[in-house]
Amino acid sequence: MKTENSALNKTPKRRSASQWAVAWRRFRRNKAGVAGLIIVLAVVFVGIFGDFLAPYPAYPNLGALTPFNHGDVRTPPSLKYPLGTDVGGTDVLSDILHGTKYALYVGVVVTIITMAIAIVVGAIAGYFGGWVDNVLMRITEVFLVFPSLLFILVFVKVLTVGAGVGSSINFLGLSIPMGLTIVVLVLAIFNWPGDARMIRGEFLRVRELEFVEAERALGANNRRIIFRHILPNILSSIIVVASLTIAYAILLEAGVSFLGFGDVNTVTWGQILENNFSDMRIVWWAEVFPGLAILITVFGFNLLGDGLSDALNPRLRD
Amino acid sequence: MFRYIIRRLIYMIPVLIGISIIAFITMYAAGDPIALIKAGKPNITQVTLEGLKRYYGLDKPLPIQYLSWLSNILQLNFGNSLYGGRPVNDIIAPRIWPTIELQVVSLLIAFAISIPIAVQSARKPYSKQDVTITSLSLFGVSMPTFWFGLILIIVFSFSLGWFPSAGSQGVAGFVWWGNPLLDQIAHLILPVAVLVYVSLAQNIRLIRANMLEVLRSDYVLAARASGLSERKVVYGYALRNAITPALTFLGIALGGMIAGAPMTEYVFSWPGLGRQYVASTINLDFPTIMGITMIITVMTLIANLIMDILYVYIDPRVRIR
Repeated sequence: MKTENSALNKTPKRRSASQWAVAWRRFRRNKAGVAGLIIVLAVVFVGIFGDFLAPYPAYPNLGALTPFNHGDVRTPPSLKYPLGTDVGGTDVLSDILHGTKYALYVGVVVTIITMAIAIVVGAIAGYFGGWVDNVLMRITEVFLVFPSLLFILVFVKVLTVGAGVGSSINFLGLSIPMGLTIVVLVLAIFNWPGDARMIRGEFLRVRELEFVEAERALGANNRRIIFRHILPNILSSIIVVASLTIAYAILLEAGVSFLGFGDVNTVTWGQILENNFSDMRIVWWAEVFPGLAILITVFGFNLLGDGLSDALNPRLRD
Repeated sequence: MFRYIIRRLIYMIPVLIGISIIAFITMYAAGDPIALIKAGKPNITQVTLEGLKRYYGLDKPLPIQYLSWLSNILQLNFGNSLYGGRPVNDIIAPRIWPTIELQVVSLLIAFAISIPIAVQSARKPYSKQDVTITSLSLFGVSMPTFWFGLILIIVFSFSLGWFPSAGSQGVAGFVWWGNPLLDQIAHLILPVAVLVYVSLAQNIRLIRANMLEVLRSDYVLAARASGLSERKVVYGYALRNAITPALTFLGIALGGMIAGAPMTEYVFSWPGLGRQYVASTINLDFPTIMGITMIITVMTLIANLIMDILYVYIDPRVRIR
């Protein structure tokens, strides 16, 4: 397919564009994938504009009585509070809308860090092979056998117990909660081994292809071969895995928060679930709807990932 | 076979030692328990802190601390809890069985159900039935485990009152369905349903993908050409090859499942290792945390061993060396 394209189009730029255009055409035919894309776009929209869409302002601080708290505690869904209010009298719909940006923050940042580590480790192990490969793969294996959730909980607890919780970092005008960032870093550190194995496998496959050999014969150094030639060739697999990793990270953060290890000052979706867990016999709406938000978001990213996988790696399909 | 098992058990020793070292260093790097005690109780005196340090052996160098801890756990002595002072053994021992019970029952049910569903799905790929099954399993993978548990409790326990919402057996003389055995089952149904649904989704996706590949291979075509019934071709010939890669993955997934027990056990107040782990971690009770981590690691390794033994039985090409 590749040689065909290069014969048709002279410039390399045109060639890569048409390759993605082919993938897009294939993707558009996949109803599930398009549905996933629409869900993801909608979630991103809510993530950006959630603060304006929400009927009530965000909860400023834990324990503070806020203007929107009219004393309407545990009211079932009504016109005034579309999804009811929780045990603290907060409007559940507003909390969900405000929380969307945190879910995206967790998903995207965990994935960026995870993929960065995974690409470096996977590239070194897969490209150089030998003892480097052996050592790196043994390390990832230990991580895989490791009961990582258990260690995530310990790390999050220890790191958030004193320092930094409640404060936030200012980054490009966005205020990023410190506690949540700690959770994000810990999740990323325990999340990369699986992805590193996948990227290593791709490197093993591609490094044996003729064009790499040709490139080496032309005298390209290792860095050039890895970054300019192999990496673009496995980009499609990386995109697919990244989409699935976003979904997984959002799920994991929700779980960690639900178990009571999250950032108590940041109202993420998992945090809403945890806050109302002990009273869920009464405030069932404060458990059902935030969970539904997690489910829809994660489902969207998973659908998108599967759709991308079908579109970008058509040989896997049939 | 016997020698194979013995050798596999011996192979487990370095892995265990490796994980114990990592666990120990992790715990050590994670935080100084004395500083944490101090953070929790600001007006504790320096003398008391020194005393505590000596009492827990924290004044000795790190390798010595590790070796004394290792020799203790080899004698199955995990020390005393920092929180309440009870022996860790007394805390852990009664919680091992409930966790195993929950995990094994769910795993068996999930595996038994997922095979026929995955096979059905793979036999007519991209048909309406297949699309429904794959979408539903993708939906299952996307669902937070604990949230599914919450929904089941709200619907079947709070609204309908069919099943208990918490615990592993009736409390205060109240026995569900009038019989101790049925009472056990009543308590198992909801947590098992959660675990089954979650691993069902993963299993189906995995076995279906393998089955699709196997059904396209030449030997299946040959079997069909020689006039065997479709049933015999699929279940007699193709299934074995489709399941072996899934088994390897299941070994890893099983570890994740055992370690993922905290979620389900927390939601259903199941008196197992996972729920205890959550409670101990909130209190930063390191001896208990380490004890549970080691027990869960051993359980994972044993589960992997069982998977490998099954592998030998299912796939005769795997030679026991």
